[in-house]
Amino acid sequence: MRYLIIGGGVAGTSAAEEIRKLDAESSITILSEEEHQLYSRVLLPHYIKGKIPRERCFLKKQTWYAEQKIDWLPGVTAVKLDTQNKFVAASDGREYEYDKLLIASGGEVRLLPADSRGTCYLRTLDDADHLLQLLGEAPMSASIVGGGFIGLEFINIFADRKIPAKLHMKEERFFPSVLDEDSSALIREKAEADGIAFKTGSTPEALEGLVGVGIGIAPNIAFATEAGVKTNRGVLTNEFLETNIADVYSAGDVAEFFDLVAGRQVMVGNWQNAMQQGRTVGKTMAGQRAAFELVSSYATNCRGVEVIFIGDVDRKAADEVIVKGSKAAGGVAQYFVRGGKLVGATLVNRNAERALATTTIKNREPYV
Amino acid sequence: MKLTIKVDPDLCIGAASCVTIAPETFQLNDENKAVVLDHSTEPGGRVYERVIEVTEDEKGNIILAAQSCPTLAITILDEAGTQLFPEM
Repeated sequence: MRYLIIGGGVAGTSAAEEIRKLDAESSITILSEEEHQLYSRVLLPHYIKGKIPRERCFLKKQTWYAEQKIDWLPGVTAVKLDTQNKFVAASDGREYEYDKLLIASGGEVRLLPADSRGTCYLRTLDDADHLLQLLGEAPMSASIVGGGFIGLEFINIFADRKIPAKLHMKEERFFPSVLDEDSSALIREKAEADGIAFKTGSTPEALEGLVGVGIGIAPNIAFATEAGVKTNRGVLTNEFLETNIADVYSAGDVAEFFDLVAGRQVMVGNWQNAMQQGRTVGKTMAGQRAAFELVSSYATNCRGVEVIFIGDVDRKAADEVIVKGSKAAGGVAQYFVRGGKLVGATLVNRNAERALATTTIKNREPYV
Repeated sequence: MKLTIKVDPDLCIGAASCVTIAPETFQLNDENKAVVLDHSTEPGGRVYERVIEVTEDEKGNIILAAQSCPTLAITILDEAGTQLFPEM
């Protein structure tokens, strides 16, 4: 059996690790766009803030791949997929045949239309190195573009270093498809108190100086779509992370999977989801078919404001959003209800409700 | 066997991967940081470090939970003080 994995991030690497546990002999190949062995993107803010040294970001040693008899090919991407003849043509000019293929190709950061030397992103270890270099030049001010999780990280990074910054976002509030005004205002007012100014209503074409950009991720799906793999925003899969094509699977940020808990197709771009999907799909690919089921959550802390998203938090997909607390009270919880059941929750400075919300969503119970 | 399990609250970001995999050993406190439990009990209160008696299966699952942590905030030592995770 030949397993081919497109993507050397946590989804692809976890899948390879799981396959190897169940199948000691088969060949496993990982095509990895990035040159680094597996590292934790979640640790990049800690690295930038100086909480940990750079080498602590790595989760695998370079020697690990050979020890596990995994062919790890850094700097190689998929160019073309042929599902009839079961091979992938790659950027190194070679063709890789497979019996089972995993598409775990993640996504690329969306770029500003105009890029200057001081423009930095926060997706990869190379991005973090670049940002540290720019911070080392002792900038007097900075800009941030985007009001998502990466924008919140840039707020922390600049405010920690007492660099005055202006945040530009298209919408009037953070996460407009998720948060209400009070939840967003709790984050914004604390950031403003810590030296961050806001410009809402548009995102600029070009900015001078140090610019931290977090305007989303574009999934790497073109090669899959061209090959007849069904895609929408991402690669469409069922709850087993199987695509419409036999022996082709998908996991991680690139997968638009059927979420058993939410009861609909979703994309989730976080670490826990990617790792768990990798482990689950690895089992399935190695012959122990397993459904993926997880109540995903995001948690971040922006200048002391705790922000937690649990489960399916798309306002448009909810029948009803029940709000507890307020900005004045110092914390806001939103409970997302669909079909009489709790499907998601957002907690801003209301951490204590997390465990119950997670359990209720997991058990498909109504909000009480 | 006994394991020493430690959470570094300075590294923990409350991603809750450990809670998902080993809820009887990890839960989040009100600061959104993981604390260590002894088979779902908390003698002595909510603490970031604990020595607990585990079976071989439980040990495997606790190490899996620690491996899932995206900030490597969990350290596991055996009775001899050898660090089982993160691998040195």
